[in-house]
Amino acid sequence: MTYRTHKIAGLSLLVGAVAACSNPAETVDTPTAEDATRTLTLYSSRHYDSDKALYAMFEEQAGVKLDVRESKADQLIETMKAEGDQSPADVIITSDAGSLWRFQSAGLTQPLASDTIGAAVPANYQQSDGHWYGLARRLRGIAYDPARWSAEDLATWDKLAEDDKAGEICVRSSSNIYNLSLMGEIIHRYGDEAAQDWATSIVSNMARNPQGGDTDQIRAVAAGECSIAIVNHYYWVRLGASEKDADRNVAASTTFLVPEFTAGSGSHVNITGAAVAATADDAALAEEFITFLLTETGQSYLTRETKELPLLDGSPLPEGVENVPDFTASDANLEIYGENQAEAQRLFDLAGWN
Amino acid sequence: MLRSALSPRSIPPVLIIALVGLPVLVAIWAGVTAGGGATWEHILANRLVPYTLTTIIVLAISAIIMLGLAVPAAWLTSLYEFPGRRLFSWALILPLAMPGYVMAYAWADLMGVAGPLQATLRDLTGWSARDYWFPNLFSAPGLAFVLASTLFPYVYITARAAFSMQSLATLEAARSLGTPPLGLFWKVGLPVALPTILGGVSLALMEAAADYGAADFLGVQTLGVGIVRSWTSFGEPNTAARLALVLIFIASAFLLAARVFQGQRGSQQTSNRWLTPRRVPLPRVWGIAATGLCGLILLICFFAPVSRLAWLAVETRASAQDLWPLVRTTILLGLMGTTGAFLAALVFTLSTKRSALLRLGARGVAAAGYAAPGVVLGLGALFILKVTGQALSGTIAIAFLVWIYISRFTSAGVEPLQATLDRLPKSLDDATRSLGSHGLNQFVRVDLPLLTPGAIAAGLILFVEILKELPATLMLRPFGWDTLAVRAHAYATDERLAQATLPSLLIVLAGLAPVILLSWRLGRTERN
Repeated sequence: MTYRTHKIAGLSLLVGAVAACSNPAETVDTPTAEDATRTLTLYSSRHYDSDKALYAMFEEQAGVKLDVRESKADQLIETMKAEGDQSPADVIITSDAGSLWRFQSAGLTQPLASDTIGAAVPANYQQSDGHWYGLARRLRGIAYDPARWSAEDLATWDKLAEDDKAGEICVRSSSNIYNLSLMGEIIHRYGDEAAQDWATSIVSNMARNPQGGDTDQIRAVAAGECSIAIVNHYYWVRLGASEKDADRNVAASTTFLVPEFTAGSGSHVNITGAAVAATADDAALAEEFITFLLTETGQSYLTRETKELPLLDGSPLPEGVENVPDFTASDANLEIYGENQAEAQRLFDLAGWN
Repeated sequence: MLRSALSPRSIPPVLIIALVGLPVLVAIWAGVTAGGGATWEHILANRLVPYTLTTIIVLAISAIIMLGLAVPAAWLTSLYEFPGRRLFSWALILPLAMPGYVMAYAWADLMGVAGPLQATLRDLTGWSARDYWFPNLFSAPGLAFVLASTLFPYVYITARAAFSMQSLATLEAARSLGTPPLGLFWKVGLPVALPTILGGVSLALMEAAADYGAADFLGVQTLGVGIVRSWTSFGEPNTAARLALVLIFIASAFLLAARVFQGQRGSQQTSNRWLTPRRVPLPRVWGIAATGLCGLILLICFFAPVSRLAWLAVETRASAQDLWPLVRTTILLGLMGTTGAFLAALVFTLSTKRSALLRLGARGVAAAGYAAPGVVLGLGALFILKVTGQALSGTIAIAFLVWIYISRFTSAGVEPLQATLDRLPKSLDDATRSLGSHGLNQFVRVDLPLLTPGAIAAGLILFVEILKELPATLMLRPFGWDTLAVRAHAYATDERLAQATLPSLLIVLAGLAPVILLSWRLGRTERN
């Protein structure tokens, strides 16, 4: 019996010992301010170098240390649920209002009543009780082959469901949050039955099975496999701003358009947003951080690499975004994206949208 | 049997089995007790059959591709001499260093409609993208190809072992009777080796069944994708766990198959039969054909995708500067996980020698963990974390992560150890005991030296597997403990493939050393 117990003791010792050794990479992402006494823990589903630079600026300005956990939104949600009261999370940043809603409905956020932030962020881009606020905007639109279609042909999402688009549409899989949120607004506007019909028509107009990401859809249009790609605007902008000739050619051979639901309804807009975690013990610091993200510096760094649209009107546009055509934003409150999410997936499944 | 399982000396192994099994048992429990609900009814009515069928189709095609790649290569390098044989005999294991999702990134880029292959084709012919048929990687067969091309080395290793262990006398007799090479393969070599090879295929398929990254990237609706989707789109981790039951069930079937096949291997062999048969030089033309075949396999499964990634990395002038801390974290986590999983595998293998009941429990638990997608085990871990009321940071997060590595990969360590143990004549154990050696003494003086080749193989395989692990690491790592896999995945999901290439290449690079070491070990064991 002895050697076995030794082995077990050895195993637990070893695992414990190695686990307890110092954290090798702690200082890499977030430079430690030696004198920092306060810590702000950020759970983020973004991973951009410009974000890191922005966080470093805030650390210096506010004299705090920022701990950042980057993961997919769903994983952050499960982590926070598991951590419960013990969660170190103070602020959550994630893309898509549908994701923000997931955090909120899991009870992981707390309302933030801030006059400054409340006044800065347009009403439909904040949760009505202050559970989350928009930081930047993103558009779901269409990159199309201008030799094949005019902007008129694609002016509304309904027109994509028409028969003349058979075999022309490229789009990614239905479980992607961008598609779920778009479908969320379609359900809101058309109702369940018409939304499912719409999805079924899109499926029958697809040039191929849903596959790859948004960028792959744009490339497929440039290569001629389809002529209409349903994509977020910044993927198209990033191709146009790429260092590679081939990428810029892809962007140049396509045109971007932001369709409406019906004429005059306005267009589907989504956000990257922030929420104060339910476990945040220094709400004032969290508010200070979110306010900082809504300054001109914050807006500029948040959108510089992502090519999102700044949330605040006066902020300068990131390079390349000026090629996105003007649009009128839908006035729908973004809370509906989350509320309709599971229904959207169910209707997609029934429509055969993989 | 029951008596030996209940004795006090079996308490430690039972505890280890419980430790390894807990996360997957928690996940299974969550699945079984999950309330029905609208989501589950929807999945049951509309998605369960397609998910399951797609998974089975992918696995079946994978199995065929793996056999087609591994068996001819193993047969040629085991029994014949041809230009480059020595190089191929170890280099064919290299694809093991490629994670499935990295292989998917590389081949998707190469074969996509906008990729270099199709673009060149269009340039040469003047066709448009709709004028021709091209193999579609974003499909069940495409996914099967991607998974098979990274996992076939497992089949290759077992096939080499099987061909090398074949009774020398039978092969020599067949040869001396003038059986032509092809006849030798079909009539003598393959039938004898097939059970072992199919055992290897079953294990590779368990690994393939747990894939999520590649299937998700290629848009193939497997159970692995369905599990994550019911968690993310429907927000129901319990439904995800329930769907995972189907996957675990399929994997158990593979494990059972592996057992059945391996059970057919027959009785104990004595040592002189393991000798590698004499290698016959192939005639010139056939020799070149053999070189070409092995070279083609290596090109498709390793050099082409790796070169493409390297090209993309160079083209975008990616900088490795901020990646070094990730390399360190990756290796450190790899070492911790390997140590834990190896010790667990060792306890499993040795302490269950005398109790069939314990062995069954240990095997079952390890196999369920191996077949469960990392996401499911990660959810199990988070559930346990919730019960303990701790935050997922620092030492606790690392302990949980290492625990999940152990839970997920112990099976990969048990296999080589068990295979080594199985080859030892049972009489050896009895002889040791009759000479009064037992306990720690027997372990140090007899078991350990004999197990060394298997132990080294186990350690290396574990290390490579853990390097490549993605979902559990993504869920459980503490602040600042990003690994290369986590970074590569973050870039790839953001559609910044160019930036994902360098971390991806570094994973392959980090995996190469242990893989080469493994090849070298295998080569040595063979020559003995």
